Amino acid sequence: MIGTRSTRRSRLIAQLVATVVVIPFAFPLVTILVTSFGGEGAVANYAAVISETPFLRFALNSLVIAVGTVALVYACTMSAGYAFAKMQFRGKSLLFNAILVGLILPTLAIIVPIFITVQRLGLFSNPIAVIVPLSATLVPFTLLLARNYLVGIPDEILEAARVDGATSFGTLIRIVIPLSAPISAVVVVWAFLQAWNDLFLPLLILQDEDARAITQVPLYFTSQYGSDVPKIFASLVLLSLPIVIAYLALQKLFERGLTAGAVK
Amino acid sequence: MSTQTESMKRGPAGLTPAPLGRHASAHLSRHRVAYLYLLPALILVVGVIYAGVGYNGWVSTLDWNGISPTPRSVGLGQYGKALGDPIVWSALWHTGVFAVLTILVQMALGLLMALVLTVPVRFANLYRVLMFVPVVMAPAAVSSAFRAILQPDGQVNAVLDALGLGGLGQAWLADPSLALISLAGINIWQWTGFSFILYQAALSQIDASVVEAAQMDGASPWRLVRSVVVPQLSGTHATLAITGLIGALKTFDLVYLTTGGGPARSTEFLTTYIYEQTVDRFNAGYGAALSMILLVLAMALTIAQMAAYRFGRK
Repeated sequence: MIGTRSTRRSRLIAQLVATVVVIPFAFPLVTILVTSFGGEGAVANYAAVISETPFLRFALNSLVIAVGTVALVYACTMSAGYAFAKMQFRGKSLLFNAILVGLILPTLAIIVPIFITVQRLGLFSNPIAVIVPLSATLVPFTLLLARNYLVGIPDEILEAARVDGATSFGTLIRIVIPLSAPISAVVVVWAFLQAWNDLFLPLLILQDEDARAITQVPLYFTSQYGSDVPKIFASLVLLSLPIVIAYLALQKLFERGLTAGAVK
Repeated sequence: MSTQTESMKRGPAGLTPAPLGRHASAHLSRHRVAYLYLLPALILVVGVIYAGVGYNGWVSTLDWNGISPTPRSVGLGQYGKALGDPIVWSALWHTGVFAVLTILVQMALGLLMALVLTVPVRFANLYRVLMFVPVVMAPAAVSSAFRAILQPDGQVNAVLDALGLGGLGQAWLADPSLALISLAGINIWQWTGFSFILYQAALSQIDASVVEAAQMDGASPWRLVRSVVVPQLSGTHATLAITGLIGALKTFDLVYLTTGGGPARSTEFLTTYIYEQTVDRFNAGYGAALSMILLVLAMALTIAQMAAYRFGRK
């Protein structure tokens, strides 16, 4: 675009500016990695995190929460997205907008009801108590994405399925979902990322040490090890690694997914 | 099960496309099966968000610790208390300062990087990845890392020392006059990649002929960016301003894990204050009233921004 008529001089300037801007962004990443290899040494630090702390336990708990959240969000999203995109019914616009209002809710604004409900039902330290409110705050966004995508599926294909005797549910499972792979991937990546990275709900709800989430690792470390910075950084690397690797492998998908709601 | 399948067969599954919002006509009532598909999402959203906000509204009229069987009704007393609470006002001020700083710097740096990378540059994809990795990292990890990096004996001061700028070294998070700016800096580090990717996507959509015409007319690069490119990105500017404002209102992990609202409440946000009142001090009633204020602010800002955006497009 702007660079179509670039000269050697403008390329040089661009290279220089880009490098200067990127250095402060790269510096903390490099620092975290290098520091995590310091102290008693890389092997000792990482081995200590994995074997001497409940790190793997926390990771497993987060995996359970993330998978549960992805499943609940995906089921609600595709089912409702299908109805909003491809069916006519009374109150459609009202119901759609009623769900979209949830987009602006800061989860923290319902801390009191969540806290009291969890207390009444005795659900402290139960992953379901994290999965349900987390999913409720994610569905408005994923539904908006899915509905906009599903509207684009040609009606002729659904009509053909109906003529062949497919039920509406059969059409959803055998036709709509297979045709929605791109948006499904975005919904799954988005929900997984949000669940894995969330701190607020686990902090509020998962109080038993055995039940904690991976984002609570830094707090656990600070309380157990004080300021053993190399080990803390090793735990941060391990906490970020699955997501960063997934991002590097699926770069376009992550960038599209994370900015999808913003590109209109 | 069989009756459900029957009703699904009768439901014609909406084969006529219609834009959302078309007025419901009489034949629509036959498509009742649609409600079955909506049910899971509706139960979830209504059950958690609507019921939660409603219950929260009721609790906000009480003087209650969240446990005792005999909450005392105080009407709008908690809201009066909030309006007279200097911590609430300073928390709103901190959120505003934080929002303005982060939004402006993130937009400027993101746009600069997106513009520069329209020129073929070496390592362009590496640069892109380095700027976007922070976006996918957990705020909990980012905050904990910066808490250490920004210590007086941390790596930032060490680098300043190495550059002979040791005099600029600071207790970044422990100095009440600096802590809020340091938090903004961490947020900018984490989220500039988001602005960058959005601007990059928007730049690729700009009509190349307009840019070429301006270049033919001899417009300088700076003039080209200012008068031709930036105005065409108004949708992206608006989006980043909205998401940045809502993001600032929602900010919690970052503050909780670095300064905890201190020193001397110099980085207290409404979110951290709500958490403190509700979880640490058992003031469920007051926490609920503060939550309602947070919610109303989020809604008002969204509506105002959307209205401004629509107005700007006309």
